[in-house]
Parts: sequence; structure tokens; C-alpha cells
Amino acid sequence: MSKETKKPFRQSMAEWRQFIYNPNSGEFLGRTAKSWGLILLFYLVFYGFLAALFTFTMWVMLQTLSSDIPKYRDRISSPGLMISPKPDTALEFYFNRSDSQSYSEYVTTLQNFLESYNDSKQSQNIECTSGKIFDQSEAAVKKACRFNLSELGQCSGKEDANFGYSKGTPCVLVKMNRVIGLKPEGEPHIQCTPKEEGMVNINYFPPNGAMDLKYFPYYGKSLHAHYLQPLVAVQLAITPNGTKEEIAIECKILGSPNLKNQDERDKFLGRIAFKVLMSE
Amino acid sequence: MKRELELDDHKLDVKELEVKYSTSVTKGLSEAEAAQRLLRDGPNELRPPRGTPGCVRFGRQLAGGLQCLMWVAAAICLIAYGVQEGEGDRGSSDNLYLAVALIAVVVVTGCFGYYQEFKSTNIIASFRNLVPQQATVIRAGQVLQVNAAELVLGDLVEIKGGDRVPADIRILAAQGCKVDNSSLTGESEPQTRSPECTHESHLETRNIAFFSTMCLEGTATGLVISTGDRTVIGRIASLASGVGEEKTPIAVEIEHFVDIIAGLAVLFGGTFFTVALVIGYPFLRALVFFMAIVVAYVPEGLLATVTVCLSLTAKRLARRNCVVKNLEAVETLGSTSVICSDKTGTLTQNRMTVAHLWFDGQVHTADTTEDQSGQSFDQSSESWTLLSQVITLCNRAQFKPGQENVPVAQRDVIGDASESALLKFAEVTSGPVAAARGRFPKVAELPFNSTNKFQVRTGEGQVDTGGTGELRWDRWAQVGQVSSLMSPMMSPMSPMTSLMSPMSPTLSPLSPGFCARWLPPGTDTPPEDLAEVAQGLCFAGLVSLIDPPRATVPQAVRKCRTAGIRVRDMGTLGTSGTLGGVGGLGTLGGVPRCAQVCYLCRQARARVVTGSELAAMAPGTLEELLRTHPEMVFARTSPQQKLVIVESCQRLGSIVAVTGDGVNDSPALKKADIGVAMGIAGSDAAKNAADMILLDDNFASIVTGVEQGRLIFDNLKKSIAYTLTKNIPELAPYLIYITASVPLPLGCITILFIELCTDIFPSVSLAYERAESDIMHLRPRDPRRDRLVNEPLAAYSYFQIGVIQSFAGFVDYFVAMAQEGWWPGLVLGLRPRWEDEHEQELQDSYGQQWTFWQRRYQQYTCYTVFFISIEMCQIADVLIRKTRRLSLFQQGPFRNRTLVVAIVFQVCIGCFLCYCPGMPNVFNFMPIRFQWWLVPMPFGLLILVYDEIRKLGVRRHPGSE
Repeated sequence: MSKETKKPFRQSMAEWRQFIYNPNSGEFLGRTAKSWGLILLFYLVFYGFLAALFTFTMWVMLQTLSSDIPKYRDRISSPGLMISPKPDTALEFYFNRSDSQSYSEYVTTLQNFLESYNDSKQSQNIECTSGKIFDQSEAAVKKACRFNLSELGQCSGKEDANFGYSKGTPCVLVKMNRVIGLKPEGEPHIQCTPKEEGMVNINYFPPNGAMDLKYFPYYGKSLHAHYLQPLVAVQLAITPNGTKEEIAIECKILGSPNLKNQDERDKFLGRIAFKVLMSE
Repeated sequence: MKRELELDDHKLDVKELEVKYSTSVTKGLSEAEAAQRLLRDGPNELRPPRGTPGCVRFGRQLAGGLQCLMWVAAAICLIAYGVQEGEGDRGSSDNLYLAVALIAVVVVTGCFGYYQEFKSTNIIASFRNLVPQQATVIRAGQVLQVNAAELVLGDLVEIKGGDRVPADIRILAAQGCKVDNSSLTGESEPQTRSPECTHESHLETRNIAFFSTMCLEGTATGLVISTGDRTVIGRIASLASGVGEEKTPIAVEIEHFVDIIAGLAVLFGGTFFTVALVIGYPFLRALVFFMAIVVAYVPEGLLATVTVCLSLTAKRLARRNCVVKNLEAVETLGSTSVICSDKTGTLTQNRMTVAHLWFDGQVHTADTTEDQSGQSFDQSSESWTLLSQVITLCNRAQFKPGQENVPVAQRDVIGDASESALLKFAEVTSGPVAAARGRFPKVAELPFNSTNKFQVRTGEGQVDTGGTGELRWDRWAQVGQVSSLMSPMMSPMSPMTSLMSPMSPTLSPLSPGFCARWLPPGTDTPPEDLAEVAQGLCFAGLVSLIDPPRATVPQAVRKCRTAGIRVRDMGTLGTSGTLGGVGGLGTLGGVPRCAQVCYLCRQARARVVTGSELAAMAPGTLEELLRTHPEMVFARTSPQQKLVIVESCQRLGSIVAVTGDGVNDSPALKKADIGVAMGIAGSDAAKNAADMILLDDNFASIVTGVEQGRLIFDNLKKSIAYTLTKNIPELAPYLIYITASVPLPLGCITILFIELCTDIFPSVSLAYERAESDIMHLRPRDPRRDRLVNEPLAAYSYFQIGVIQSFAGFVDYFVAMAQEGWWPGLVLGLRPRWEDEHEQELQDSYGQQWTFWQRRYQQYTCYTVFFISIEMCQIADVLIRKTRRLSLFQQGPFRNRTLVVAIVFQVCIGCFLCYCPGMPNVFNFMPIRFQWWLVPMPFGLLILVYDEIRKLGVRRHPGSE
């Protein structure tokens, strides 16, 4: 039961114009310049205060954080696996063993990746006792353990600069994500299984795909600057059956109860799947 | 039904009618016969038109403006999901969940809306039943009041001015009866009704009165010739369907508000969409942003809150005997700045009592005690005999049958207040009234109305007048209730008035004078000419009646005054007793003299204006008077003058509430911004015109109504402010997400949970908030400036509290990120890499490497942290919204139990969402660390302190924002 009558269009237009700028009172959008100024000033002060408060809180919070070790590692209790080389699109390797162009990208990536593992780069790194967690929590300066490229055998790039791609035995390096303070239990090792049998034979370097415990734990990039992740090279000796076929391979970390590899959602937690298609 | 109704009852004479309907035109039907016919024909009421089918109404609930927006959003989500699925990306079914959640939201709110509509329709229907139409019917010779729905064919009914005709009636006898047929024929002129058949057509003839038309004045007796759906009006199907439910203005305003919000949402969404496209997002992703912003912006739970607020208040009012016809009326009452009250029955007890009598040049005091037994005045005078005869006979009131054993003072009477008082007085002083009336049967009658202000009855028979021997009066006329001492209509009696008034300070202006004269035998006067008969009468005496003000009235009027509401009495008969309360003059000791009151009133800025003064006023004078006199009493005003008063008040910019009971009040009731009718004394016309009905006829209830109206407005405002505030902290994450390229701090599903789950209860609980103690000390709101959602409210919610909340959320977000290894410096600009699904070894600030899903769970942690921040701040928000002016501590932080429970509930839901297993993968909530609950608390405290400072400012400098 509305008791108001509707205004004609012309009048409401005039009222709008009046609202936007009222020449009589000098009001712009219903306020005078002074009023607008005061409002702007108020919000300037108000937001300035809030921004200062925000900055101060952030600063205080950052003061409480150590720059060496993160406060919590709730979301990364277990590391993910990754491979190198890593094709840009989904993890699928397509190459022709007789066409060096088709795999040069993979080779370059591997070479670049392994550069940091060169002996010259590892001069400061020490030899550690294998098979044992290398706990340095007491030490002020954390040492990094040497990872000898020779452990990668045929995949080290020393013997075969093409990492086996030209021979039909392409190498893929499997590495585990760095997680600060992670101490794997048991004897972690990488095991890769092709989806279908008979298409590929898999060799591991180091043998059994073992990941030595001496490379753990990691102490963070500021304390542990020269740290190098242990690598496991997976050599895929593709049989004539497997040529021209897409071979699906899944690698998992096994042998360690505290490294998960079965997460339903996270397909990279302790495992990785990739495909290889080699033509001749 | 389509066939034109054929009716010939108007052509039949009384005998034929008696035969046709097998009834008696003197005694009516027997109860048994009536019951039988009722069973046969069904109740006398219009069958309500078949409403819109439930599924259509439900469908409408699902297809509102907001809902359409949500459907679009859901569709976008589904498409996005479909496309992702088509690309073989099996990882993220977020979009599917979101679509399902959105659809669920629409359906659930639809169900809720449907249920509320269903309930409010029922409430309105039950209100209708609360005030059923009554009909005066003669059955087996007895006059009864029955529910109009129980009338049957052949019933003999009586109607009088102010009644709604209870069925189609063939008039058998009428005295000055006029009806308003405008609802049926469109004629606005009142139509005379009389027993003669004047036209061939039953629609045109004078001797049929139609169901649901209004009897304006006079009386009539008639025979029911059709009932319910068989009546003329019942056959006009279109009229019946007009009874459909109407949208209340507050609902319209709220819908309008929602439209604006939806418009803003689309505007913002569109802007973000375009920006996202320009920045280089894929189309689908930009669409999902658009949808997220729409979801963040639209206050999904608002409509539910409003409906709950309104129906809660309506229920609360009904408990205090105020029945609201439409819910928005409550709100209007809250903004009322002037109450124009008809005195009778509202301000007073509506229990007229004879206080004084004047005859033989002397004032006699009557007994006004409860039982009226000890009449002590001299009853031997001849004048007294004559006076008592007139009082007895010239009186249309009668006792309801079957009360012979009830003390006279407590018997129920059919008739108006003054006449009932006289009837009881006569019964006590001069014996059974019925017997006296039997001796002098009524020949013709002109009932009292506000135009002629007197009543004439011609009777026939013998009368004994004590002392002077036997006189035989074949015919005599009486004039009773010449109500006015100041009315120009009183001119024939003015000598008497001038003689009497100076010497009778005890006589109130409400003093019916009684006169009588002999008529020559065999004089037959048609009712129209009765006024002519009332000339040259012999004056018998005056009777003063008082109607004591209700005990609650002075306090209620005082309350109104502190609330900035002016009370104007515009009674037909202004009593000074009432005025004493109204004008704040205190009681002047019984019944003061009118002149004295006027004098005092002038001193007290109050003023009495009589109807005649009003009539003589130049246009504009009244406005001037209203402006200068905060309190005013209008005495003896006509319906037109009441209308003028109301209009003048409205021209001055006031929101006017009018209270009234009589048919003469109905124009003013209709004109008023809110009409309040009396439930007991009110006529059907008044109840129809009114928006609200006071079931106990008590003025104090209006004050309660005002308080409730202000409360509902305040609480709605609080609730809306609360609901709006969180839009900013919901929107800000997207703004920062797009502009600063941080990982998304708040997800769509999380927003939906805030909107529809955790925040609903606190926002509804604000409807239970008690009035701020000063609610009745404030001026009424200005409806043009103080809108439900106005600029200061929006600015305060959005740009101040909302921004503080956003800061709280971001602080918590950055804390959660930094403590998990992602420092703010790294987080800025991280988004493209963060969201890259092929990136499984993204390095954080400490050199750790994260897989995509580890990052995703971290993102969910951020959602949860942001969610908790908003919740914590919203707790502070709901606490500050409890009051608009008072300090939280003046109001008592924990006195609204519902609100406390709601807060506890909100926290419990928060905990449940965070810590219930399985939540991460279903609703994207993660278990978060305890200290992240604490991070936003200083901001909550800041909100509390900031708002306390604002309220302090508002209290120190009233009127400022």
C-alpha cells in the first residue's frame, strides 16, 4: 500500500543532475568540496593507520620467524618426487633416437642440471658415512655431503654425453623434493615399474635406486647452501617391442615407512609417473 | 456461474418472502432450522480463490533475481568443470563441488522462502479469523450477535451504520439507511435503502443490500436471500480473486535493495572479468572469477534474516494484542511522528457512565460506582419522570438476551457507549426498559449521526406522567442525545444552554439533552422528515456522561512525548478528562469546564479546536496552528474535518497514525500512513480501512507498537549492517589475488559457508535484540533520510569495519603463509607458479620444494585462516551491531541470549569445519593451528574499540554520524 506517487522521468533526471552537481550549494555528488575533502582526509588517516598497523604486525611476525628454519612444516611432512629432464607439457618424453634434434632439449637440461654436481662445484663438500643420517644440528655451519656423479654410472653424462638417448637407453633422473629436517627411515630406494611388461628394462644408478641416508636431513638454503639432493638415475633400456609404443612408467620411493607414496590426490607425493615414446 | 443471476426477491412482498424462505419477518428462524440450513448451504463466506499452485510459487522462489545469478554462477562452474574434465584434468573437482554447493544454496533458500511465504500467508489468514465479522440476527424472536459466516437463507438481520452488510439482504424496514455500493457498482454516492421495490433490476432496486457493501448510516432490518458464493458479489469471480496477497512495501524495498546489490555484484564481477581477460587469464578462468565475485557480493542470507525479523516482530505484537494486517505496517508505526487519536474507547475506557443530571434548574449527582445502585437524587419531580421516559425510549441500545440474572452494570449491551450508559441508567432508576418500550412501540426513528448530531424517535402509546393525571399521547416525538453544547445545531435550545452552562461546572460537554413533545394523533412522518418533527420540543433535562480515561493513557502519552510523537485528539466529542492527560495538564479534578481547559491549554502550548472553529478557518491556518502547538485537541469534528487534520499533518511532513473505531473515522484511517482500528469497539468499516487492529482497544498498545516498529527498523538495520560488512573481506581477497598475484586467500565455497552457514545465526539473532534503552527518547525517523540502508551505514560497513576485517584476514593469511615457509615478499607475484599444475617442486623461502597438491592444501589452510579471521571479526561485528548509539556495556553484552548462543554456535561450526576429518577434500577446510585463531583477535578488539569511540561521539553530538 505505497502512498507515494511515481515521479515523472524528466523530474527524476533533473534531480539526478542536481545530485551530481548542485550549482546553488556547490555540492558535488551531494557533498560540498569541503565535506569531500574532510571525508578523504578521514579515510586517508584511517587507512594510513590501518596500513601502519598492518605493516607493524607483519614486521613483528617476521621478527618471530627464523630465517633458517620454517616455523612449521605441516603441509610437507612427506616429500614429492620429480624427474629431470622435465618435458614442458605433461610428463611425456617423445623423441627419435636417430634424430639428435628431437632429444637435444632433454640432454641440455640434464647437462645443466648436473652441472652443480660437478666435482669442481663440490670442492667444499665432504665425504660422509653412507647409510647413516648425517645429523649436524649441533654444528653452526652445516656441511653438505658430496654426491659423486660417478654414482650415476652410464647416466652421469661422462661416458655418454647424450645420456643414452641416441642408443635407445634414455636416462631420467629421479630426485626427491627438499624438505627441511626430513630424516627418512629404513632404506629408501626408488623403484620404477612400467605399466606393461616386456617393453622396457630398467637399470638404476646407484644400484637398486638407493637413496643414501647421509644426504639427510636438509637444513635449509641459508644454512645448507651447498646441499645437493641425492639423485637416482633410471636408465630405460627400451626393447624393440617398446619402440614406437608409449610406455607408461611409475616410479615410487620404497623402503621407508615415513615417506608416503600412496596419496589419493597428490600424484607426486613419493611417486611420479611419466611416459616415454621413442621412435627410430 | 457465468449466467446473469436471476433474482426476483425484490419484487415479492413480505408474505411471499415468508413463504419462499419459510421464515417469519418478526421472529426470524428458529435456531434448529438455522443450524440445519447452515449445514445444507455451507457457511456464509466467499470461498477463497484457488491460490497459485505450490509448485509455481516454489518455482518463483527459485527464479528470483539473486537466484538467477546463482544459477548462472552454478552453470559457469559446471561448464568450467566440464571443460577441465574434457581436458583430462582429473585432479580438481572443486568446480563441481562449487556448482553443487551453489545449487544447494538456491534450493535451500528457495525452500526457506517458500516456507516463510506459506507461513506468513497463514499468519495473515489467521489474523482475518481473529477479527471475524459479526452480524446482528433475530432468531426465534431473540436479538443475537453471531458470526457472519453462520448466517443462512431466511435469517432476519439488522444492520446499522458502520456495519458491513453480512449477506445479500432484502430490506424489510429501514430508517435513513444508506449503503456504499462502490465496491459493487462503482457508484461513490451513498445509496438509500428502503423496503420498496423501485426498479426491475435487482442491482438497481432500493430494497436489496448486497453482501460486503458498507452500511454508512441509519439502520435496516432485512431478510437474507443469498449467502456465501451465491451472493451477487460472490458470483463476480474477478472481485474475489482480488483478495490475493500483495507484496508489502518493505519487501519491495528490500527486493529493490537486493537488485541494487545484484547490480553492483554484476558490475564488480564484470570489471574483474574484463581485467582478468586483459591481464591474460583464459576465458574460463575469468568467468570463474566473475562468479566468485558475484557469490562474494550477494548477501545470500539477507532475505531469510529480514523475513525472520518481520515475522518475529509480528508475533511479538500479536502477543500484545496488536494485530498487523501487513508486516510493513509495524515499521511505519515506528516512524510515526503524529498520532491522531479518536478519543472514544482509545484514550478512555469506553465505558460511559451517567455522572450528573440537570433538570428543574438543578444539578443532580448520579451514582457512578460500579453497580450504580444507590441513586440518591430526588426522583419525585415531574421533570424527572419525563426525562427518564425520554432516556428509556429514545435509545437504540438493548440488552443482549438471556442476562436477566446478571447485575445491570455488567450486562452486555448491543449499542454504542453513550446509549448503553443511558440504558443501564434507565434500567437501574426506572425499572425494566423492555416493558416501557413495549408500552410505546417505535413508529419511526432517526439515529444519531455526526452530521445532525441528534436522534429522533417517534413512538405511539400511552404514557403516565406522574402528578398531572393521565395524559393520552397518541404520538410523541423525543429528541435524545443532542450531544453538543457548543454546536450550532443546538440553536433551538440555546436559551436553555446559556441558562444552564454557567451554573453547572460539573457538566461536561458530553451532555445529551433530552426533549419531548406531543404529536397530533395519526401523524405519519417518513424518516427523512423526522428532523422537521423535532421542533418546538419541551426540554426535559440534561444528562452528563463521562468516560474516564484509561489508567494507562497518561503514561503512554508521556512516553509518546519523549519519543517525539505528537498526540492529537480529534475525537468527535472532546472530553476534558482526556485532554488532561493529553495536554499534560494533569487531572483537573474530575471534569473541568471547557473554557477553563481552553485557557489552560493556551498557556501550555496546547490548544483546543472545535469542529466549528475548524470549519471557519482559512486554508493554511490549521497548518500554522499545528506547527505552533505541539499538542492539540480537536473537539466535535466531522469525518471530513478529520481527513483535513490528517492531510494537514502530512503536508507538514509528518508520518501520521490515526486511531479510530467508527465508520466516520474510516476516511482518516485510510488516508493516514498507518490506520489503527479498535478490535472491540471498531466497526467493520474502520477495521477494513486500518492497517493494524488493537484487539484490546488500548492506547498503550499503540505505544508498544511504536516501540516495536522502531525496534524492528533498528534491528533490521543492525542485521543488514552486519550482513553487508563481510562483503568487503570476501571481495578483497579476489582484488588482491588479481592485482598482487598472490595465491588465492579465500575460496568460493568458503565464502558460501560464511554467507549461508556461520553468519546466518548471528544476523538472525539480532532480531531478538532488545530495544536500546533510549529508543523511545529519540525523534521519529525521517523516512526520506533515514532509510533502511543508507549511505552512512553502507560506508561505515564497507569502508571502515569491512576494511578492518580485510586487514585482519590478510594479516592472518600472511602469517599462515610465512610460518609455513612462504614469506610475504615471495608470496607477492607468486600466483602463476603457485597455480601451475605441472610445477611439482616449487621452492619456498627456505629452499624446500612443494608439490602442487602440497601447495593446494596450503592454499586451503589460507582459506580456513581467512575464514576464521572473518568469523572472529564478525563476532566483534555482531557485538558492535547490538547497539547503534548506546555503549555495548550499557546494553549488556550478554543479555541477548539468542545472540550469545548464536556466537557460540558460530564458533562451533567454525571448529567443526576446521577439524572434522574429510573436510579438506570436500569443502576445502584444513585443520589450522590454534594461534591462527588468535591473530585476528586484536583486529576484533580494534573494531570494538573503534565503534565504542564512534558511539561515544554519536552520544556526545547527537545527529552526527
